[in-house]
Amino acid sequence: MFDFDALINCFGMASCAVNQLTSGLIIGMLLFLVASGLTLIFGVLNVINFAHGTFYMVGAYFAFSTYLFTESYLLSAFVGALGAGIFGIFFERVLISKVYGQDILMQLLVCYAFILITDDLVKLIWGTDYIAMGIPDEFRLAPFRIFGGYVPPLYAFLIILSLVIGILTILLISKTRFGSIVRAAAENSPMVSALGIRVPLYFALLFGLGCALAGIAGALAAPVRSLTPGMGFGILIESFIVTVIGGMGSIPGALIAAIILGLTRSIGSVGFPLFVDGLMFLIMAIVLIFKPTGLFVKGSSK
Amino acid sequence: MSGFTLFKKDISIALFSVIILILIGFFVEHPWPKDFLISIFSFGLLAMSLNMLIGFAGMVSFGHAAFFALGGYAFGLLLQSESFLTNFGALSIIVAFFVSIFITGIYSAVIGAICVRLNEIYFAFLTLAFQMFLYSVIVSWVSLTGGDQGLMGGIARPVFLGIDLSNSLHRYTFCSVIFVICILLLRILNKSNFGYSLRLIRDNQERAEFLGIRVFRVKLICFIIASMVASVGGIIMTLFTSGAYPEWAFWTQSGEAIFMIMLGGISIFLGPLVGTVLLRLINDVVQMYSSHTELVTGIIIMIVVLGLRKGLVEYLLEKTGILKK
Amino acid sequence: MKNFKNKIKRRSFMKVASLGMATTALTGFPNILKAANKPIKVGVTTILSGRVAILGQTVLSGMKVAVDEINNAGGIDGRKIEVISRDSKAKPDEAARLTRELVNNEGCEVLLNCEASGATFAVNEVARDIKKFCIHCISETSSLTADPKNRVPWVFRAARQGIHDAVGGGIFASEIAKKNNLKKFATAAPDYAYGRANTAEFMEYLKLFSPDINVTTQTWPKIFQPDYTENITALLNAKPDALYTCLWGGDLVAFIDQASLYGLFDQFQSFAVNLGDLPILTAIKKIPKDVYGGARYHKDIPDTQANEDWYNKYMAGSDVLPTNWSWEADTGMRFLIDALKKTGGDTDPMKLAKATAGNKIKSPFGVDGTMTIRGEDHTLVNYVIAYGRTITKDPYLANIQQSNWKDIYVHEKDWKKRKKYI
Repeated sequence: MFDFDALINCFGMASCAVNQLTSGLIIGMLLFLVASGLTLIFGVLNVINFAHGTFYMVGAYFAFSTYLFTESYLLSAFVGALGAGIFGIFFERVLISKVYGQDILMQLLVCYAFILITDDLVKLIWGTDYIAMGIPDEFRLAPFRIFGGYVPPLYAFLIILSLVIGILTILLISKTRFGSIVRAAAENSPMVSALGIRVPLYFALLFGLGCALAGIAGALAAPVRSLTPGMGFGILIESFIVTVIGGMGSIPGALIAAIILGLTRSIGSVGFPLFVDGLMFLIMAIVLIFKPTGLFVKGSSK
Repeated sequence: MSGFTLFKKDISIALFSVIILILIGFFVEHPWPKDFLISIFSFGLLAMSLNMLIGFAGMVSFGHAAFFALGGYAFGLLLQSESFLTNFGALSIIVAFFVSIFITGIYSAVIGAICVRLNEIYFAFLTLAFQMFLYSVIVSWVSLTGGDQGLMGGIARPVFLGIDLSNSLHRYTFCSVIFVICILLLRILNKSNFGYSLRLIRDNQERAEFLGIRVFRVKLICFIIASMVASVGGIIMTLFTSGAYPEWAFWTQSGEAIFMIMLGGISIFLGPLVGTVLLRLINDVVQMYSSHTELVTGIIIMIVVLGLRKGLVEYLLEKTGILKK
Repeated sequence: MKNFKNKIKRRSFMKVASLGMATTALTGFPNILKAANKPIKVGVTTILSGRVAILGQTVLSGMKVAVDEINNAGGIDGRKIEVISRDSKAKPDEAARLTRELVNNEGCEVLLNCEASGATFAVNEVARDIKKFCIHCISETSSLTADPKNRVPWVFRAARQGIHDAVGGGIFASEIAKKNNLKKFATAAPDYAYGRANTAEFMEYLKLFSPDINVTTQTWPKIFQPDYTENITALLNAKPDALYTCLWGGDLVAFIDQASLYGLFDQFQSFAVNLGDLPILTAIKKIPKDVYGGARYHKDIPDTQANEDWYNKYMAGSDVLPTNWSWEADTGMRFLIDALKKTGGDTDPMKLAKATAGNKIKSPFGVDGTMTIRGEDHTLVNYVIAYGRTITKDPYLANIQQSNWKDIYVHEKDWKKRKKYI
């Protein structure tokens, strides 16, 4: 099951090492965008958004339709994020806010029903076909060669962009007025309301922000990942793993956990290709056993 | 004796149910009710045992279907093994039945010992992680489990004590008896001192500790028993489909069990069972009339959750005034 | 208890008998009455939700072509064919349960199983158990019909079979390998039964025809994995002469787009057996040149009027392009209809089986305009197996060569002997 020779060989060669490390990074960074939205929503609203993958899907589809008309990758990514964000606010206001503070199982059920409905709606609007947006012309370039390894320009761009979005989100939450209100409301919502601030509005905006992060990940990945109804399903479980390992509520934790996961997959594909999934769940279990609050959050579960 | 008088009513109801179920088997020629009921027995046990964790003890598990799958696979694999069949001959089914439950018990004791220390959301995620780990093992251990294709080629069902489980009437009768025994067992546990301790823990763990309840031990025992009952559900499914499939260990299966519980209602003992029937009926009826099954099912669930805000059984009982708010 | 039951049985039998006699007396022609009233219900389970929902949709549209033809012609002795379909969500136990439900509740008399491999084995056991005539239309796993353990007297397959494709593809690829001196092969296959078996069979035959070939790297992405970056870089690291992949559907679309980013198709020769499905070819925006692929369904292979006509009929009733699954579902339905014609609408499994074993029908997808379901192993033969090379414009696949069935029969027989199936 484990092929250590292949691993050692790979890391003995600069080209192989570059290939696997960068592929781990690109997988990790897109995952980070999705997971950061999930962890943000949990951290502030204490809601687990089981429907998070849906917003990733919606972002990708919105981006695809925009791209059809405008042929602009950046504009379509923006529309994807905005669309997913607005859709997220709708979901928050109309559905999930009705079960705030209730049993986690009620939230699970609302999210599940929402996933079913959205998947079928996507099928009705865009059809069941495999859709590929195609790689935008400006990124149809030969890959960069670094120490003999390959790095596609699109991926280099995505890694940097995801990092920028991640940092902006952290700044938004920690440094702005919006961020401080939201954090305060998370701690003590009646107190913040008493100051005349419309807490539900801020909560909805934050929820929308989380969904927009998932949406932009879907939109940015749309050129290289085929679009199908139900595509949010696979990404959901991986973002859960990231959120749990990084600590629920911690965006920097999600970043590091996402990179760990990306590297596990890219290194695993060389050394233990058949056990990558098993190992991911094992890491999650070990973290939960020894530090349930996640690697990067202080505190305990008890 | 006192035990018997305490549970006299429940035992009588159980006996009565067994008789009704068997009569249905004997007098309804049409195969549908038998097929339908067997699948209810199987998933009903999954839902009922999960509710022992969620409803009785307040332990929300996202990974309960793992034990359902483990029971099914263990049972199927034993009965596919030539040497097992030659060793135990006519007793194979009975031995395989108890061995599978026992194996699940051991496995759940290990998993439970690790998980039950954690609270709420972390417990949920850890059980999910272990379930998905088991799923990965089933899918990648192709030589033993058949990987994603599941156990193929049918499962031997040697005749024992005149019972031939490849005969649909015998199989149905056998499953109904096992099903009712398991439900009765859950009922007795629920009403016993053990069930009382569980509820105390659920409502206030610190108070329970203060009252001298050994929380960890009680929770662990609850976890093991619930897992063993779930494995019986898996065994029934294996008998019915003559195979075992990795989807049983996938997280969506646990999710489905949770919906069954929520649809019926967690505070009523038989609520999850009603939920099982409801979910199955919704699925089948919607499929009959619409090609947009996901859309319609989603809307129905949304209405139940946001409209009633509780399980259907709970809602009806409150409406009719049987259950007080 | 038993006595009682018998009594009821006898009583209901008497009721039916007297009712039957009354009808006969009234009309004189009970058969015609039956024929005029009751359609023959065909139960179909397939995948209609999730990531491969498109395939289930093309199954139903493909089948509709055959059903419309017979129904417009007046049905079978006046009885129409009615398809009742269910969505199994690709779950084996759900497929098994729904198959029972179709028979028990909907009154389906025959089954066309349109599930992928995993669920097909489950439905196979159900058909055995409840004794209903069944044709598997989709599963390509060779052992389904080749292995006598899996065979059921009243169950058949009207679909491609892995071993046929492997021999045809092996011969095709080995010629290219010899011409271009390709020695080191890498594979990328979805990590499940179909992917593993398909890759193993293909490489087995490739090596048989060109013994100096060896496999240096194998990478196994999960089915429905959103990205293949780590698999693609693993392939790049290995620097093989050629790549074989049996990824399919949306996964293949994503793989090709992502591999193009790395310029993978410029660096070595690639064979993608499942590339030749229209929705895939049209979904990929910039299809790489000179990739070899199987023509899974192609409206110009064979280039006949009948094939063209079928395409037009299909497109009239569908909003998605036909796939490999479409012609297979149409074929299954045609074999069923032909058998029903022979039995005069009788759905007794053994009678239908007798009419199907060794049956030869006209079909636009057959090499010489006909296809046969072989009597000895209940599987379809003489369908078109063809491979071609991609070009960047419509129809995307050119230089198509058809495999010769004579070769396939010889090697299939050897394979069966090796597997101890015969």
